[in-house]
Amino acid sequence: MSAMRVDTKVVMLGKESVGKTSLVERYVHHRFLVGPYQNTIGAAFVAKPIQVGEKVITLGIWDTAGSERYEAMSRIYYRGARAAIVCYDLTDSSSFQRARFWVKELQNCEEHCKIYLCGTKNDLVQADRSLRQIDFHDAQDFAEEIGAQHYETSSKTGNNVDELFQKVAEDYNDSAFQCMADEAAVDLGQKKDSYFYTCCHNN
Amino acid sequence: MEGDVDRKATAAWSGCALPPMERLRAARADSPTPGLVEGTEPGAGQQAAMFVHSRSVEDLADEDAGESRGVPQLDADGDPGSSETSETSEKELQALQGEENIIETVQAPKETSWAESRTKEEDINSEGWRSHRKHVFVLSEAGKPIYSRYGTEEALSSTMGVMMALVSFVEADKNIIRSIHADGYSVVFLSKSPLVLVAVSRTCQSDQELIRELQYIYYQIVSLLTLTRLNHIFQHKQNYDLRRLLAGSEHLIDNLLRRQDRDPGLLLSAVTCLPMPGSSRDVVSASLQAAKTQSLVFSILLAGEQLVTLVRKKEQFLHHVDLHLVFNLVCSSSSSFREGEGWTPICLPKFNTAGFFHAHISYLEPASELCLVLVSTDCEDFFSLSDCKQRFLERLRKRGSAYQALKEAVKTPGYSVEQVGIPELRHFLYKSKSSGLYTSPEVPEMYQSEGEQERLMGLYQELHSRLHHTTRPLRYIYRCGETENLMAWLTSGFELYLCLTPLGTKALAMSAVNKLLKWIRKEEDRLFILSPLTY
Repeated sequence: MSAMRVDTKVVMLGKESVGKTSLVERYVHHRFLVGPYQNTIGAAFVAKPIQVGEKVITLGIWDTAGSERYEAMSRIYYRGARAAIVCYDLTDSSSFQRARFWVKELQNCEEHCKIYLCGTKNDLVQADRSLRQIDFHDAQDFAEEIGAQHYETSSKTGNNVDELFQKVAEDYNDSAFQCMADEAAVDLGQKKDSYFYTCCHNN
Repeated sequence: MEGDVDRKATAAWSGCALPPMERLRAARADSPTPGLVEGTEPGAGQQAAMFVHSRSVEDLADEDAGESRGVPQLDADGDPGSSETSETSEKELQALQGEENIIETVQAPKETSWAESRTKEEDINSEGWRSHRKHVFVLSEAGKPIYSRYGTEEALSSTMGVMMALVSFVEADKNIIRSIHADGYSVVFLSKSPLVLVAVSRTCQSDQELIRELQYIYYQIVSLLTLTRLNHIFQHKQNYDLRRLLAGSEHLIDNLLRRQDRDPGLLLSAVTCLPMPGSSRDVVSASLQAAKTQSLVFSILLAGEQLVTLVRKKEQFLHHVDLHLVFNLVCSSSSSFREGEGWTPICLPKFNTAGFFHAHISYLEPASELCLVLVSTDCEDFFSLSDCKQRFLERLRKRGSAYQALKEAVKTPGYSVEQVGIPELRHFLYKSKSSGLYTSPEVPEMYQSEGEQERLMGLYQELHSRLHHTTRPLRYIYRCGETENLMAWLTSGFELYLCLTPLGTKALAMSAVNKLLKWIRKEEDRLFILSPLTY
């Protein structure tokens, strides 16, 4: 048994204590740990196979620490990532500012990385609407502006969590397909060139 | 001798190990009171130890002693300085002291985090806050609060301001403030530019012990940030709020402080091993040795807070302080390492304060206590380390009996003092100096409550500071008490601390020491790592 083959790298980003680890825990282990908050140290890696259509895709998920201390080395975690789940806490407006920071960082350094904006702790908001500090439509607008998918999840109830990762995997699958198509297109293009050439020549 | 034959075999088999010197082997076998010479004591490794060679506490305190030797202790009342400072200091002390009545704050280490969040919110004007036995504060040289063990840092900013004022006032006279003693309290200062650490203690620990504890805290902070970064930050912005960078890691410092009250390893500057058959341990070590990669410097296998084995790159040594920081990181971090794999930068300050290593942290199996830490120099090397772990695990599984023995050992991580067969012996600590490893039985029932356990540790701390006193060190101590008799013995080879029933005599204690040393010699294969390996 050697290290699991990973198809695509997914990175979790966001301010500390927004619930990145909980989201991964819920998705990978189907559980929600109640207890005192424990921050992630450095980053944790977990590989998770997921069924997309008839294929199985293995997501390599990097759960990074939100602490500012690790900011300088966050690049080693998101470099080459095909998808980034940028989390913010629906009940904490400062975490949304932080999410904007991460989006900018990704747009500057990792342009091929697809962004998924994820508002966490939806259960709290459902229970008490006055706790909500980030309006759904504001976040939606921001997501559209940056061309990102937008989700609101609850790791406690599991609401929308599987959907989010399923979407990540499907998008990867499509884009992988797209890539192959692109390559094919390049080939075709080359032929087209010669075709055009001959065309013109004929004319 | 059976043990010897065994060792000879392993030495030949391990290949890269230096053969033990003949003199050494002879001494091992024949010495009636083994271990009076360093390198021949029970538990001594066959080659140079795995750790940086260390002489216990001196090694932690020496840098400090060097710079401040000859500086007189400052007495709060006898402060020769200006009246202004001594006034503020007295007022401050009063604020810190509170009343004399002792309220034991019992904190079970397992349910700490809840307790922790409570202590953080504690009101600093309350009796509860004042009555803590030991406060620890960390501040920047600008007097900005960085860490407080109890209460929030914001509420303490004026208190910390006063502390800094004391430090700089004494410094202005080209002097260094080391401690203040008043009314049963010790206030100990450790200035480690750009940080200042202060302990306020009602325990009977010596200044030296408190300084040692503060050093650990200092190293913990450096381990999170590196000294280079720390210096850089404060050079650019003197009044930087370092809490921003330490956010979320306070519990590492909290944990370290708690361990200092109960873990003899921090006191002895040594680590303890998981007791297991030597032959199985050697198989585990060899499997770990085989799973290497270019950038790997140390492979450390832990079971809880005990070391199973450690394999290191040739010429590179791990310092026990650094190893304790690794222990602390693993033991106090979240479950995220449990099933995934952790990848974190870590500075090992005794190795190098300037840069980060990168540690791959994973448990061998999700439900297992066995945690593998692979320390690498390359931050990009996650996947090759992940592969090393897999290779190690595969090898281990192929050698099923050794793996089984290891799993069995994890189930019974301690041994009871009864196994030693000395009726008057209740508990002991034995450190082999040359290997930097120590062994100690489980705490007997009568010392098992939190308070009693800390009291026992306190007794050992006291003995330790008497043995290692900077000006009047002792070699033997025998002390009769109402609740127990204590004995401590320091040789060039080992350090030994015994807790005996109060009914015994000195002669009985002496014979207990001899019997104990013979027992440890007999069991050394199981209790220590005798043949450490390198890549």
